[in-house]
Amino acid sequence: MSEVVIENLTKKFGKTVVLDHVDLKIDAKEYFVLLGPSGSGKTTLLRLIAGLEDVTDGAIYIGEKKVNDLLPKERNVAMVFQNYALYPHLNVFDNIALPLRVRGWSKEKIKQKVRDVSETLHIQNLLEKRPKQISGGEQQRAALARALVRDPTVFLLDEPLSNLDAKLRVEARAFLKKLQKELGITTIFVTHDQAEATTMATKIAVLNRGTVTQVDDPYALYMKPNDIFTAGFVGSPAMNIVQGAVKRADSELQFSNEDLKLTLGNLTKDAERGVSMGVRPEHLTLAKKGEGLDCIVSNVEPLGSITYVTVNIGKTSFIVQLSGKLDLEAGTPAKIEFDKNNILLFGDDGKRIDSTATN
Amino acid sequence: MFTTISESSESAIELRSQDQLVYDLREVILRKPFICGYGRKDSMRQRQTLKVGLILALPLILYFFGFFLYPLFSLFQSAFTTASNVPTLNNFRSMLTDSLLKTSLENTAYYFTGSVVVEYSIGFGVAVLLYHYTGRLKCIFRTAIFLPLMASPVVIGLMWLLILNTDFGPLNYLLSLIGVQPLNWLGSQSLGMPSLIMANGWEYSPFVFLIIYAGLQTVPQQFYEAASVDGLTRLQTFRFITLPSITPSLLVAFLLNAIGVLKGFDLIYVLTNGGPGYSTYILSFYTYVVGFSFFEPHYASALALLFLLMIGAFVFVMLRFTALEDYLGLKRVKER
Amino acid sequence: MKKFSILVTLLLTLISLTYLFPLYWTLITALKTGSEIFSRPPIFFPSQITLSNFYSNGNIFGAVSETAIGSVPWLVDSTLIAILATLVSTFLIAAPAAYSLVRYLRSVWLGRLILFMTMIPEAVFVVPFFLMVAKMSLLNTWWGLIVVYISFTAPFSTWLLMGFFNDVPKSVEEAAQIDGLSPYQIFYRVSLRLVTPGIIAAIILNFISCWNELLYALVITYSPFPAGAQTVPLFLTSFIIIEKEFAWGGLAAAGIFTMLPTLILGVYAQRYLVRGLTMGSVKG
Repeated sequence: MSEVVIENLTKKFGKTVVLDHVDLKIDAKEYFVLLGPSGSGKTTLLRLIAGLEDVTDGAIYIGEKKVNDLLPKERNVAMVFQNYALYPHLNVFDNIALPLRVRGWSKEKIKQKVRDVSETLHIQNLLEKRPKQISGGEQQRAALARALVRDPTVFLLDEPLSNLDAKLRVEARAFLKKLQKELGITTIFVTHDQAEATTMATKIAVLNRGTVTQVDDPYALYMKPNDIFTAGFVGSPAMNIVQGAVKRADSELQFSNEDLKLTLGNLTKDAERGVSMGVRPEHLTLAKKGEGLDCIVSNVEPLGSITYVTVNIGKTSFIVQLSGKLDLEAGTPAKIEFDKNNILLFGDDGKRIDSTATN
Repeated sequence: MFTTISESSESAIELRSQDQLVYDLREVILRKPFICGYGRKDSMRQRQTLKVGLILALPLILYFFGFFLYPLFSLFQSAFTTASNVPTLNNFRSMLTDSLLKTSLENTAYYFTGSVVVEYSIGFGVAVLLYHYTGRLKCIFRTAIFLPLMASPVVIGLMWLLILNTDFGPLNYLLSLIGVQPLNWLGSQSLGMPSLIMANGWEYSPFVFLIIYAGLQTVPQQFYEAASVDGLTRLQTFRFITLPSITPSLLVAFLLNAIGVLKGFDLIYVLTNGGPGYSTYILSFYTYVVGFSFFEPHYASALALLFLLMIGAFVFVMLRFTALEDYLGLKRVKER
Repeated sequence: MKKFSILVTLLLTLISLTYLFPLYWTLITALKTGSEIFSRPPIFFPSQITLSNFYSNGNIFGAVSETAIGSVPWLVDSTLIAILATLVSTFLIAAPAAYSLVRYLRSVWLGRLILFMTMIPEAVFVVPFFLMVAKMSLLNTWWGLIVVYISFTAPFSTWLLMGFFNDVPKSVEEAAQIDGLSPYQIFYRVSLRLVTPGIIAAIILNFISCWNELLYALVITYSPFPAGAQTVPLFLTSFIIIEKEFAWGGLAAAGIFTMLPTLILGVYAQRYLVRGLTMGSVKG
């Protein structure tokens, strides 16, 4: 009833292609996140779904109805903008009420509905105030209220958390997630912050330069990224990605470049295509002595319960995540060990090679 | 529904400028394939944009046709015919031999140069001066300088009639205190224009002041701080920091000042009425005289066209050869 | 450093006095008695002031008019014409056009055209306008003058408002779009409300221009209310022509008196005026 289907969607501005043959299927009640760097087309995609831009080619369906030619108001979608876009000249009550007034609701019904929605969002005490008189978090909730007051089919959010300070952002994330679950509205959320995406989404679509690189749930995205871009984009600090080549030496496969030679585990033949290797900081360990490759500690960043250590092997560097405090100093040598089960290989096309052995 | 879609020949389109595509009216009217080019859905939206835009602008469009194009047309019609509606170029030919026109044009040049030089330099100087003043009287000074703008040219004419009066006017009195003989400001031909320039200067220099002063205030304090850290002298700071930052204001002030002076009519009518003799006849005044004192509407129309051409040329030169256009709020392509 | 600032202060005082002096002189002339007005050397600080130049024995402004109502007829005309011209041009013509030009019919050439229209001198169109107004039988009527005044207030207001409409965030308008408002509703209920400072600036500046306008009024009107529509500037100029040599007190009084509305408006609304007059060359 409220699924959104994007079919072979292409969007051009003049000659510039902003979205290139995008296919997506967003199920009802899903919290779907469009994740990508700036310029990836994610906001454009959202605006196309909203009806603020025209489709160049392809189709958009909301609940089985093709909406390409429909005005935004006919699509029954609601949108929250990055800067909330509240009407500055109206108080919060009127802001929320405007969509209903325009639809000709009676005064009593409007009053009731606005009260209900503002209670859900805990802003019932702010109804008399103007947008500039309330805080950022309150403004955001007012914008949410305005969007929700129409009981929309689809709920669109364009980076709504970017304007909040860090602490508020964390609170807002939890709040939004809970709200969406309670209300059960199909939600499409745009962000460039991968932490936001992974904490809130039921499913994430990663966009890069107008194409969708992967659609998956957060964990799968994290553990099995489809290509180097996604691998590097999801997860903070970013996955360590190293160029090199995979060679077979005796019965083992090795990943090597001019600085290091790493023995890989038992992998499929396909792995020999690999020209890049990726490994996440938490899948590396450091020790003063022992097995592992030689490296030099170059930078130590303590964060309290964990420490990020940058080590260099020649010109190749890795970021290692350690728990607790490191008793190694910058400039001293150490040994770095790799969790061989969590090394990813990428081919020259940038795509991940599914290389785990099947035994 | 009202996102505009088209490609402007004037700006390259980047990913970030998604909303600022300029909808060039020419393309709509002239290049029909353009409308159909993107496919039915786009053209429908485009047509709706056009429809709404036209409806909103309709009153202005009607006014434009009725009170700009039609009078313009009527000017052309009148300028190229004689009193008995016979087509002719005589109106323009007489311009060449009209000695009063020649005088008017010379006077216009005199008036223009004198006024603009006086007003612009005084306005500029006062703006800089007040900007560097840091005392408590700033507001008072500013209001005092601002006041002449509130008076109408007619009232200003009255005021200066009183002041410039040969026998009873305070100006001659004050001049006599420094040994200058009483001057017949409004009665002698050589002093007519200077009197006018004086009064006009009083009227318009606050205008220049206002624009430049406002511009000075937008220069971020940090520029000056960086300059003092870098060790620039006052003069250097002024030349390399202040002046470039206020270029928009300088240009706008010049343009508005110049146009204001050229348009001038009220002050002349009241203060000198073109006299003494014909020494303060300028083109705008002369056009009026030809039309309503000499009752020669056809010749007046020709003069009006000449006047329009002059203004058009001036504006064209100003817009084309300076960066002025960017500062007049025209090419504003804003981020979302 | 100290010497510099003293010098600056002195200069500024001198300059301010120079700007204030004509106003001062006119004011005291208006308040002087006849004998003091025509004295040599001129008196700068009158020993006695009188209000007789403003109002005496049922005459307003000295020896000018015979009726007791004095300048009032002209004031009525000016007020009505200025208000109507300003309101009609700003709300009915300029605001929707400016909005359209900024959001719909965005075209650099249209903008340039509007700009050019604000710069056209009155003398250019005075002859055609006179003929047109005469043909419409609106000579010496309020609407005759209003309709002509709109020809310059409309482009100016449009220009001014274009700048203000441009500053309205598009996202607010898009939110309204999604909320279900039609383009006209968005204009009327959202965008228009957000350009109020611009509207105020336009109204004030246009009012002042209409109030002070001379040429068109000179040509189109020939008698005051109630028979005609002559405006205040014409009242003042009639002073000069008729009474130039004698009723100086009255002349000065008339000048001061009729300047008061614009003076009050101007001082009250300085902020708006600055924005309007600087024409967007200055941000904020």
